[in-house]
Amino acid sequence: MSILQVQNLKARYAQTGDDILKGISFNVAEGDFYAIIGPSGAGKSTLIRCINRLVEPSEGSVSLFGQELTRLSARELRKTRRHIGMIFQEFNLVNRMSVMDNVLSGRLGYVGTTRSLFKLFPRSDIQRALELLDRVSLIDHVDKRADQLSGGQRQRVGIARALMQDPQLLLLDEPTASLDPKISRDVMQLIRDTARDLGIPVLCNIHDVALAKEFCNRILGLQSGRMMFDGKTADLADSDLERIYELEVL
Amino acid sequence: MTHLVSLQAELERSRRRRQWVQLLMLALVLVTVLGSIQVIIIEDTDWDRVGSFGQIMESVGRFMALDLSLIPHLGIPMLETFLMACLGTLLGLFFSLPVAWFGALNVTPSKRILYPFGRFLMTLSRSIHEMVWALIFVAAVGLGALPGILAIAMRSVGFISKITAEAIENIDPKPVEAIRAVGGNNFQVMYYGILPQIKTVVLGTIIFEWDINIRRSAIMGLVGAGGLGLTFFRQMAMYNYGGVTVVILAILSLILLGEILSHYTRKAIV
Amino acid sequence: MNAYNSIQSKAPAREWSRYRFPRDLFRFTALLACLLGLMFAIDFLGIDLARLLTLFGRVGEVLSERYFPPDVDYVMQGDYLASVVETVQMAYLGALIGMLIAAPLAWFASWNVTLSRRVLYPLARLFIMASRSVHEMIWTILFVTVLGFGMLPGVCALVMFCIGFAGKLFAEEIEVIDMGPVEAMRSAGANPLQTFCYAVWPQIQTAWTGIAIYTWDVAFRAATVVGFFGAGGMGWYLKRNVQQLETERVAAILLSIVVLVVISELISAWARHRLNRKRDANRIAIEAEAA
Repeated sequence: MSILQVQNLKARYAQTGDDILKGISFNVAEGDFYAIIGPSGAGKSTLIRCINRLVEPSEGSVSLFGQELTRLSARELRKTRRHIGMIFQEFNLVNRMSVMDNVLSGRLGYVGTTRSLFKLFPRSDIQRALELLDRVSLIDHVDKRADQLSGGQRQRVGIARALMQDPQLLLLDEPTASLDPKISRDVMQLIRDTARDLGIPVLCNIHDVALAKEFCNRILGLQSGRMMFDGKTADLADSDLERIYELEVL
Repeated sequence: MTHLVSLQAELERSRRRRQWVQLLMLALVLVTVLGSIQVIIIEDTDWDRVGSFGQIMESVGRFMALDLSLIPHLGIPMLETFLMACLGTLLGLFFSLPVAWFGALNVTPSKRILYPFGRFLMTLSRSIHEMVWALIFVAAVGLGALPGILAIAMRSVGFISKITAEAIENIDPKPVEAIRAVGGNNFQVMYYGILPQIKTVVLGTIIFEWDINIRRSAIMGLVGAGGLGLTFFRQMAMYNYGGVTVVILAILSLILLGEILSHYTRKAIV
Repeated sequence: MNAYNSIQSKAPAREWSRYRFPRDLFRFTALLACLLGLMFAIDFLGIDLARLLTLFGRVGEVLSERYFPPDVDYVMQGDYLASVVETVQMAYLGALIGMLIAAPLAWFASWNVTLSRRVLYPLARLFIMASRSVHEMIWTILFVTVLGFGMLPGVCALVMFCIGFAGKLFAEEIEVIDMGPVEAMRSAGANPLQTFCYAVWPQIQTAWTGIAIYTWDVAFRAATVVGFFGAGGMGWYLKRNVQQLETERVAAILLSIVVLVVISELISAWARHRLNRKRDANRIAIEAEAA
């Protein structure tokens, strides 16, 4: 069953009017770990941000569980974003807040304004945050400030925050680009295992082809905003990679 | 060779021209200064009133005979001055928040109208002397501590909101993106994404401003807004110069107290 | 399938609370104390909160009834315009003389190049601090008492004000110079004045120019009101009309002050922009606030 359907998605720079994405279509099905690969500047980040409309697409459709996202009102969009967890390249934690508050901030879409003003999260949320922090082995760092953690630990806080949302889809924007190779693999493994346990499909934007091949079951190759490849990881041939990266080879 | 010579001549010429300009500027400054001294000081002053050097020293001497009997009566005005500074700063902060929101380019609700408006309010607030603000509010709400508080608040808005707006413009946008991605509304984005990043800067600025406001608060009484300024004014009206000096010393000690307090609070926060 | 319940934690779930026992008790006590202090302050100063709510309506009412329309003709007549020129001259003289005195004081008051750390340094520091701590309005009143009404006490008050303002900034600028050239000069046998002119001055020239522009700015702002206490200029007219309850003229004068100060700010902002030392400009702007 297809969970996320993207059809003929286009996006352009507001200033120059240049196209970044030139008509992208793909489907993410249940249990998928979908990788988007491509040289830098290919539009990977834009594509992933068009899904939850952190970047507004100019044309095309994105539908999640049959609901069209591109035409939602601001209020409906916030409601939908609650169900889409996102993990970022540079973790995007609030550095001056504690680990716990960073994880709890994943529930902001669910708690009301007044509750969030006093940081009064329901007991069940706190319990859930503790479980998740335990799962990403940060239970001993609950009250530390986010900027006191190492890069790998921060990314695990980011993962916990995304899972806190009770997501139906995970978006990953270069989750390992700021980490060293060993920790990158650990983080990818953690994400894959968790996603598998919870049955959440993942759409992951990654520049490291080796990691993509190891962890992802489907791959989408992007170059200059065009789709160069879309299929099972096993079907990705070296010639495809050459086509995707041909502009980058100097 | 001739090329080099002409180059040298060119350099010489430009050097001479620069010297001329500098000389001209100097002459201009000198003329305006002398003119101003003539008009402002020599012609305008009633030199008989000023008197001889001895007479000046005599009137300065009158300030030196401290009137210590005034000290017990200073407690309440000092407290008034202190509280006026506190409330003025607090109210100033309250007014600053929307101004900073309007005047920060990355969060302003409207770049065309509200952004320049916010920037204009910042300049306006800082360009008007606290005395002028006080006069405006005394005229509008009558005598008492209230116009003093309002004047201090209005004078503080410019600085607090300017620094806050700059802090907002310099925040890291990544956490903000994350809060938006989890479905946070505008308030939550500000409260969780922006506020933690600017908190220390804003607190430091408020303490700094509060410290300065004690100085301002001490003169509010000169135009009828209570506190030490009023005591100063009364002593002056009674020609009790020894008492005037005591009031000034009280103001200085209050300022010193403020500086010590702000030093420690800032340390505790940062 | 609800993902929310499907995670089975390996470790027993721990308790977590945002609040820590002694720390947050202190925090809440402090918060409560602040609130009580606030209530005390409002009560002590006799502020009627109900009045505060309707305040802006009433301010608008008073302004529109009594202060509107501003008597523009009044500020356009020759006498008043002459006082504007006088105010500018007063600020000009005050700032210039103040900075002329502040410059050597700043030299003495900077630890790294002062002539004598034992005597001159503390004296110069004390003098600068004293002139800073006393508000310019109080300086004005004191000078008026000693010297009588007129522009002279105004200039004197502005001089004291500028010594405090520029002196501190000048000294701070000297204290962060590169000491290398100073040592080179000294080892070449230069006397202190030569050292200052050839090793220190080139390093502080631009920064001091920026500070000078700022000093002019704050001096002009102060000069517009020193007259209120008898020291001449536009403030004198303000005082007279406030006393005579000529509210429409007061409105016009206040308006003219605001306009002139904003114009002066714009000019100096433009001049500072041309100097283009953003880092210093920001730091000095913070200092200027303290003026």
